[in-house]
Amino acid sequence: MSDFDLDRLGDVWRRELDPAEMERLQRTAASVSRRARFSQIFDIVAGVALSAVVIVLVWANPALETFLMGGAAILVLLGSHIRLRKLRQVELKSLAGSTEDMLDQSIERVGTTIRHNRFTLIALGPCLVFGILLASVADRGGGSLPILSQDPLVHLLLTGGPLVAVAGVFIFLFLAVRRGRRELERLQAMRETYRQERKSSGQ
Amino acid sequence: MGVQQSPIPAAARRGDGNGPIPPFERIVADYGPLISRIAMSYEADPSLREDLTQQIFLAVWQALPGFRQDSSLKTFIARVAQNRSISFVTKQVRQPRLAELPEKLEADALNPEESAIELNEREMLLEATRKLPLPQRQVIILVLEGFDYSEIAEMLDIAPNALALRLSRAKAALKSMLEQT
Repeated sequence: MSDFDLDRLGDVWRRELDPAEMERLQRTAASVSRRARFSQIFDIVAGVALSAVVIVLVWANPALETFLMGGAAILVLLGSHIRLRKLRQVELKSLAGSTEDMLDQSIERVGTTIRHNRFTLIALGPCLVFGILLASVADRGGGSLPILSQDPLVHLLLTGGPLVAVAGVFIFLFLAVRRGRRELERLQAMRETYRQERKSSGQ
Repeated sequence: MGVQQSPIPAAARRGDGNGPIPPFERIVADYGPLISRIAMSYEADPSLREDLTQQIFLAVWQALPGFRQDSSLKTFIARVAQNRSISFVTKQVRQPRLAELPEKLEADALNPEESAIELNEREMLLEATRKLPLPQRQVIILVLEGFDYSEIAEMLDIAPNALALRLSRAKAALKSMLEQT
């Protein structure tokens, strides 16, 4: 391809898709918008249903404690809804902005996630030791969880299950930190490419 | 539990000076090929490209209510598609594969020979575009898509002279890659 003319290449580039390909694209888009709408409806229905359950529980047990707990549950629900909505808006805003701003925000987000996962990973060990100590003290007392010492299968499930779960969480977090680091490196390299490009353009 | 307004009713309600945003189905009909080409220039693997195309459609669907009409809809969609593609590529552990075409790229109304030349030319162009560094790739894609230089400069948030420099480098790199193929 020795004939280098951007206008002509543009014509080649923008050549119409064939009808079958176009139809496939439209099917994909329709399925995406259907799933997105369903997810919106599900979010609303789940929020309303959870709030209704809390209100019914408070109504059935009209005491100050249940009122406070119910109120707190609804506030937590509302808070997490608002937080997620804000996060999504920030993400969408960055997608509609410049690529460099988006990369800056992605670097910040991935960095925060790595720090959070790393802290949880480090805190997991001491928490596990503390939990085992607490369980051994409770077990020595005999009276608090009598079922533990009576049925060996239940005993095994109750002691082994959490250990397996903790090991699973540990591996998951370890892999997440590693994956996050790789993503961060790629983002930083990409950001650097843009910085160099800007610098060499005298901006 | 993020609840977003559906872009279609929002668009229908917004009766501002630039007119309402068309329904999503119309947007797909008008800009689907643009989205498909952008996805193709960032991802060579067909199954990953399908994922990327879905992610772009979803991002456009979700971002539409926030479209302030301070640029054209085409500019807005191209910007979302490029940024989503870049964030998609950074999440991939392996490097994007370099040369692979979608299943169907044949051109209508061309005889088999012309069609093969066209297909081959487009294949080479896509392959060469995917090899460009991201800042240059962005510029070339937008030029090939037919955006004018002021729109591209605004989209990339760079001054016109910096755009001219970036474009001349991108053209040189693209030309050299096309000559090698």
